[in-house]
Amino acid sequence: MTQTFNGRTIEGDKGFWTIFPGLCKGCGLCIQKCPKKCMSWSDVLGVYGTPSVEINSEECIACGTCQTFCPDTAIAVERKKKEKKQ
Amino acid sequence: MSVQPAMPKSWRLDTKPHKFCPGCGHGLVLKALGQAIDELGIQDRAVFGCDIGCSLLSWDFFNVDTIQTHHGRTTPVVTGMKRANPNLIGIAYMGDGGGYAIGSQHLVNAAARNERITVILVNNTQYGMTGGQMAPTTMPGQKTETSPYGRDPEKTGYPTQGPEMVAAITKEGAYVARGTVANLRQLKGFIKKALENQINGGGFSFVEALSTCPTNWRTNAEETWNFVEKEMTKYFKVGEIKVPGPRQEEGN
Repeated sequence: MTQTFNGRTIEGDKGFWTIFPGLCKGCGLCIQKCPKKCMSWSDVLGVYGTPSVEINSEECIACGTCQTFCPDTAIAVERKKKEKKQ
Repeated sequence: MSVQPAMPKSWRLDTKPHKFCPGCGHGLVLKALGQAIDELGIQDRAVFGCDIGCSLLSWDFFNVDTIQTHHGRTTPVVTGMKRANPNLIGIAYMGDGGGYAIGSQHLVNAAARNERITVILVNNTQYGMTGGQMAPTTMPGQKTETSPYGRDPEKTGYPTQGPEMVAAITKEGAYVARGTVANLRQLKGFIKKALENQINGGGFSFVEALSTCPTNWRTNAEETWNFVEKEMTKYFKVGEIKVPGPRQEEGN
């Protein structure tokens, strides 16, 4: 049986940002690496009972740096497709 | 189906979240390795050997044939498997204690014989699993459990420059590089080149990855990145040290 993880998706202006509290250990590496410094600790607890992280959905540019530097792959970022200019 | 974590396909999903500490660099190195295995499509040919130390917690990490060896003996075990079945892709995964301290004779001799295996060595400047004792790679002045006033190079020498040593003793065809978890895309490229060099039959492929240990460094996330990016790179220079092919002229 393959286990699945429940995500908590926050929709930002540029994309969809998903945190998996069942994987997040609360190390905080992503908060330091964020180029916009728009991440913070969340009230949702992670797998070790430590706070997980969340984004400020207005500032997030969906660059995916936090996804790259998460050792536990607890973050998934999907960019919104650009609307075609008319 | 809802959104699922962006894990490499070669990761074994049932054992996640993995057993490494929060903020441990092993997760990042193994993520880079998993992505490299995915991109090369060698999941059914690879054999993953892990050492004693924190690196052994990766024994059930991949959906790849895995063997867990004695301390420092990963290099000869993977060498033996590679010699018995040259079609395999042998990946030896070890820490700096296993590679530069107890297993240094195996690393030196495997490099001197130019064995066609890939060695990935994770350098976190001390012995993580036993509680943060001083290792051959501890930085000058760094405080550990067994050097509470900071490492004194006069008494205990300077940190081991592993990739430089391996590059000096290997023959043509070897690949030697040093990456860092602070630049994961570059590290993935180094690991991929090291695996490709083995697939092409080039020779010994060695990648050292500068890694983090927030638990034993007693650092928060900001200080952890500072130490990896600024302190460690002062002494451990990141980049490709030896690439296959004819030796390039000085200055190129």
